[in-house]
Amino acid sequence: MSRNWLIDNQGLFFMAPAMILFAVFVLYPILYIFGASLYDWDGINQAIYVGAQNYIEMFTNDRSFAISIRNSLYWTVLTIFPQMILGFTLASILTSGIPFQNVFRIIFFMPAIVSPVVLGIVWQRIYAPFGGLLADLGREIGAHFLIQPYIADPKIAIFSTIFVNVWQWTGFSMLMYVAGLQGLSQEVLSAAQVDGAGTRQRIQYIILPMLRHVHLTLILLGVIGTLQTFALVYMLTKGGPNHATEMLPTYIFQKAFTLQSMGYASAVAVVLLLIALSASIFQVRVLGSRFTIGG
Amino acid sequence: MTRRRAGKTLAFVFVSILALIWLVPIIMMLVVSFMPPEQRAPRFGGLLISGVSLRNYETIFADTEVIRHFINSAAVTIPSVALVVIISSLAAFALARLKFLARDIWFYLLIMTLMLPIPTLVVPIFQINKALGLNDNYLGLILPYTALGVPFAIVILRSFFAGFPIEIEEAARLDGCTRFGIYWRIMMPVSWPAVAVVIIWQFMTSWNEFILALVTMNSVDVKPLTLVPLVYSGQFLMRPGPMFAILTLITLPVIVVYYLMQRFMVSGLTAGAVRG
Repeated sequence: MSRNWLIDNQGLFFMAPAMILFAVFVLYPILYIFGASLYDWDGINQAIYVGAQNYIEMFTNDRSFAISIRNSLYWTVLTIFPQMILGFTLASILTSGIPFQNVFRIIFFMPAIVSPVVLGIVWQRIYAPFGGLLADLGREIGAHFLIQPYIADPKIAIFSTIFVNVWQWTGFSMLMYVAGLQGLSQEVLSAAQVDGAGTRQRIQYIILPMLRHVHLTLILLGVIGTLQTFALVYMLTKGGPNHATEMLPTYIFQKAFTLQSMGYASAVAVVLLLIALSASIFQVRVLGSRFTIGG
Repeated sequence: MTRRRAGKTLAFVFVSILALIWLVPIIMMLVVSFMPPEQRAPRFGGLLISGVSLRNYETIFADTEVIRHFINSAAVTIPSVALVVIISSLAAFALARLKFLARDIWFYLLIMTLMLPIPTLVVPIFQINKALGLNDNYLGLILPYTALGVPFAIVILRSFFAGFPIEIEEAARLDGCTRFGIYWRIMMPVSWPAVAVVIIWQFMTSWNEFILALVTMNSVDVKPLTLVPLVYSGQFLMRPGPMFAILTLITLPVIVVYYLMQRFMVSGLTAGAVRG
């Protein structure tokens, strides 16, 4: 009897390693942060139970937390849409049969595979006010608007950081659209052409709606990417000046490992987790099991 | 027809110019790494250098333990890639081709992980590693990297396996092939486009991962390459040459792996797209 059960369910054996890792490094950590968020704890000494105090503090009296939330909103909107528009434009051009289109695809995708640590340091030299690429270029050709305190001015630092992120990930959007465009039914497209649809009409009424899954996947990955952002900000600005470029992950890191407030950091992590979870539930509801990478 | 050709020429010119601008930061990284040490102040962020020299590379190999850090990165990345391929292909095979208890629930649980920002898990993973004695140990990174990489790999591989013709599987069953045999001898050998996507992706994420490495590896001996700019930032802060040589060294392996595997990338992604 139980032997039969095991044979019928032998899929569980195939799943076992993945499930064990999931339990130890995903499920347990999630429960852990919920528990730890209720304590005042430095990670070494005895933790003191404080109930919802960390959350109350966070939402009523924490300017850096508020800035991180605001920055996440900026980041989400200002990376996802420019990336999608530019990515789609590039993908359309790079599937139209122009020379070297594979080379171009590799070039535009390349920043996505480079470590954000590397990019953070390189872009510091692009943004540097003295000897930096943009400032020197501005001086040389007399375009003084190029000389800006890109990452030193709290008002614009977050936008300079977002710009780097857009540059890094546009190639990824492009590749997703390339895969999506190549999966489109040629019959529908040529039928539209026969019916006299112009290029613009074809894009607006046929191609863009048919790529709905790519759009939605990119929006979701954009939200998750925003919520993951750490290394680029850490290397480029360390969350500064004066917390102006703080994101939830940099704030968690600072609280947990610089200020030794593991309990408070866990509470911030819970908020981050809930935001991410709502985004993914939204995804499953909209797309169901048709979660796709590429179209 | 000529209008169409003009449009194509225009498009070509547009992407060419954009591609050049796009590459500037990467070119800059390379150029500064070859800057002669005599040149004190690089102009245009270092895009203009007064000569080409390998001295920065000599410096980093002589003055730092860069080879050790390189090995550390490889010792974390390669096992995590291998584990992800094995663990996720087993699970993806079960999810695509077998029926078992609560199959769909398992799938959704794993998919949820995909949406989990790694920074939420930093504090608990740090504590788990501390409890297991895995801080400053390669396994302290290999295991979480594998756990966090498996869901994406499952999504890619599952849709690939799902498209495999049932007739071949049934024929193999009649010939006495076990489920494991079907997975190992029939499915895996033909799934290389999807496996290639998984390999590129996992290699990239493990090699470039930063926040978990930052909190897990405290002893300099075990730090992977991504942490090296921080380790030597005091020493090299005033000297962009050696710093950018290190940056180039961090970047080189991912570029090589990507270049070797990229021709599978679009086909692997498209396969996932068609069947979802």
